[in-house]
Amino acid sequence: MQRRPFLLGCGCLAFAAAAGVHADEYDYQVPLRFSRPDPSSDEGGLWAFMDREEQRLKRSSFLLRDPALHDYVNRIACRLAGDHCPEMRVYLVRTPYFNASMAPNGMMQVWSGLLLRMQNEGQLAAVLGHEIGHYLQRHSVERLRDIKSRSSFAQIVGIALGVAGGGNLGALAQVGILASGLAYGRDQEREADRIGIALMARNGYAPAEAGRVWGQLLEEYEGAKAAGEDVSTTNILFASHPPAEERREVLAAAAKRDWPGAERTGADEYRAALASHRMGFLYDEVRRRRFGESLVLFDRLLKASPRDGQVQYFKGEAYRLRGREGDTKLALEAYRAALQLDTTPPEVHRSLGTVLRQTGEDAEATRAFQRYLELKPDAEDAELIRSYLTGSQS
Amino acid sequence: MRLTPWLAAAALCTLAGCAQMVKVEPGQVTVKEALSLNTANAWNRFELGQLYLSVAPGAAEVWTQDGITLDALAFFVGVAQGETLGSALPGTSKKLPAFRSTMTPGDVVELYEQMVTQDGSAFALKRVAPGRFGEQPGFRFEHTITRKSDSVLLKGVGQGAVVKGKLYLVVFTAPSIYYYDRHLPQVEPLMASARIRAP
Repeated sequence: MQRRPFLLGCGCLAFAAAAGVHADEYDYQVPLRFSRPDPSSDEGGLWAFMDREEQRLKRSSFLLRDPALHDYVNRIACRLAGDHCPEMRVYLVRTPYFNASMAPNGMMQVWSGLLLRMQNEGQLAAVLGHEIGHYLQRHSVERLRDIKSRSSFAQIVGIALGVAGGGNLGALAQVGILASGLAYGRDQEREADRIGIALMARNGYAPAEAGRVWGQLLEEYEGAKAAGEDVSTTNILFASHPPAEERREVLAAAAKRDWPGAERTGADEYRAALASHRMGFLYDEVRRRRFGESLVLFDRLLKASPRDGQVQYFKGEAYRLRGREGDTKLALEAYRAALQLDTTPPEVHRSLGTVLRQTGEDAEATRAFQRYLELKPDAEDAELIRSYLTGSQS
Repeated sequence: MRLTPWLAAAALCTLAGCAQMVKVEPGQVTVKEALSLNTANAWNRFELGQLYLSVAPGAAEVWTQDGITLDALAFFVGVAQGETLGSALPGTSKKLPAFRSTMTPGDVVELYEQMVTQDGSAFALKRVAPGRFGEQPGFRFEHTITRKSDSVLLKGVGQGAVVKGKLYLVVFTAPSIYYYDRHLPQVEPLMASARIRAP
């Protein structure tokens, strides 16, 4: 389905890289500042194309227009990019999939599904550093020249749009594909990985977090498989290669060997920066209907913050919306657990009432609905819930 | 002004060989031999064929005045236990949840939400309350959809009922700017005229 640029890399780290990595490979020299290419050149054409996409992105209703969160992510990206910071524009996009990309003109997209999945600042820095690595090495231009030598740009764009499923994920996904530099090559991914981990380590982040990003993705993938969900569209590279494991191992080994003392993860700062958006991100996550992945994600988030009532509530929502045999019981358990935790949203009472009504526990359902109305008397469904209580609507 | 977008949509779909339009004359109309309605105005019934309409994939019928991207009146008629409300996005392995005859109006709105957000569009419920569906007790909901493909904000209203275990639902969506308010005055009486003929 959608080809996520960062994920594309996972297909590209072969055993050769694992064998040949040495500390000096991480001694990356950042190139001098870039200037705008000649508009008549191939690179200039690529920039012009991305500039047009950027104008569209700026108008999109799916942009997260939160100055505080934007500043936070932008600051991290800027530190990683160093002197190249002024060339970059960061856009946060509400799309519940794991993705970040950086176009050759400096447009960086970070999707909400990535923000939800990262456990700390270090993990986000690993992904952003990797994308900045592609940018600094101008991989998309290399790739364009490589493609042009074999076929026409228009054809490739057509193929890329076709891969997106004719607009399944809409225009932004398509931009993501194109901004990804038309699928990087294996060596380019290896190089971006090395640059990414070097940049994050130089900025004081624990480089071990880079490998963990892959470990987490693998767990979600396994979760989807175990739940019997079709994983062939999760990522074509997961399906056709076994790469994320190697990638996780190589990055973990490099972290241990080359930066054994670096430990800063920035977990608290990350959590605080995301706090006001988490409900929305979690809501979008369960509505992807990739419940196997989501449940693994929620368990991971709960392991990191056992008193997180928001995540516990959405764990219940995942079971309720999936609606397989046995899920009703699991949903009830999750909702009841959420009632004992912190920051649990009032909607837990509505969901609890809804499920209890289905299971015939009417007295407890009534109490749950009453509690919901006490907490949210002006809710958008308050009239409906009141009608359940008075019995005027069944 | 009114014809231009309509003709554009028609031309596109004719060229693609994917859909055709049939005029719905004012008066008594029956949808799928199960739901009768009374319309004061003429509408265009859109035969979707292979065309995928994000606000109503797999609806029994879709009517429009100005073209389906500008206003769409979708009918879901007699959805039975175990059936999905609409159809899944082409080329996806994801499954839409199935309707259960014990579902509450809140559950039905959630079914609708899951259907229209398949393409990444964003749904926001504004209000759901008990109401009438023609002569039957039913429910009514109002919502917005931010369409993924072009970021246009749509407003919508739906009315429906579960009768003898089957779901009947009529939903109207149109851009919040101009088109929703323009057509709502003829949509409301049309929805109020709904009569279930073959529950």
